[in-house]
Amino acid sequence: MLEAIFWLFITVAIYFASKRLYKAFPKVYLTPVLIVPIIVILLIQFSGVSFQSYNEGAGWLSEMVKPATIALAVMLYKHVDVLKKNVTAIIVSVGAGAIIAIITSAGIAKMLGLTKEITDSVAPRSTTTPIAVSVSDMIGGIPTVTAVATLVTGLLGMIIGPMIVKYFRIHSSVARGALFGTSAHACGISKALEYDAVAGSVAGISMMATAFITLGLAPFIMTWF
Amino acid sequence: MRTLLRTVIQVLFFIIVAKISDAFAAWIHSPIPGTIIGIAVLFILLKFKVIRMDWIEQGSNWLLAEMLLFFIPAAVGIINYKSLVVESGLRLTITIFLSTLAVMICTGLISQRFAAKKEGNSEC
Repeated sequence: MLEAIFWLFITVAIYFASKRLYKAFPKVYLTPVLIVPIIVILLIQFSGVSFQSYNEGAGWLSEMVKPATIALAVMLYKHVDVLKKNVTAIIVSVGAGAIIAIITSAGIAKMLGLTKEITDSVAPRSTTTPIAVSVSDMIGGIPTVTAVATLVTGLLGMIIGPMIVKYFRIHSSVARGALFGTSAHACGISKALEYDAVAGSVAGISMMATAFITLGLAPFIMTWF
Repeated sequence: MRTLLRTVIQVLFFIIVAKISDAFAAWIHSPIPGTIIGIAVLFILLKFKVIRMDWIEQGSNWLLAEMLLFFIPAAVGIINYKSLVVESGLRLTITIFLSTLAVMICTGLISQRFAAKKEGNSEC
């Protein structure tokens, strides 16, 4: 019990410390979501603690993902006008993005010679974890592989997203939100919120739309592979 | 101190909503996860002023601002998949990287083009 609270405390402390560091030096490799897990992994490897006992305390944090996602409803409500005004832009771009996500994931995985199960497991990786896992289960993938692929998607998305925004000169908040919400689910939302609240709420809506599209189309698209 | 208390109570509200919507989704065997049902229901309640925004706004802001913290244990959990990482890790990462790149470029450029048209700019 004490150990559980200790690891929870350590994780929170490292997180807030790295957040301050990132604020002072906003470099990609200092992104909290990259650096905090690395530090924590090193710490638990050195102290010989298993992930299970680490997660007994720190796992309480994972429980907060759901309430935080639901908190988006307030954000959506606040920005409903922007969403209404840009409904076509959002539907077309998110629809295209969600379909491209499934096709390129499965296509590239197949080209690289990954097994059929792993190909099926990565296909729904662009959507939020609970949807990705249930779609994976539907089409014959391995849910744990999907969970890992979805998480890696979120982490990679947070790192390469800002580069894409810069390189392709994505200035519009709506476009930034659509980009992050479609490609990197809840991780993308938190990154989009770093730009502004409009980008954050568009990212929220985009994540939801991606979830519905993946749920509806992935089983059908995967019959091509 | 009162602000802190308010935030804590409002965060508790979101935790309870999450629990209820998960239980509901499981009960009706919904293929749509509880969180998405929760967002939709809460949005409707806000829209029809059953719940006032200032009752839950602070809690919502805090949860969204610290969202990253909640992903850390899951990211640390990657150490449980050593064999997957050794066998297919590189190819998996390349797949995810290239596919994410494609999704971002397409979604970003398409929505920017549409958004620009709306603002009356022919050039984008």
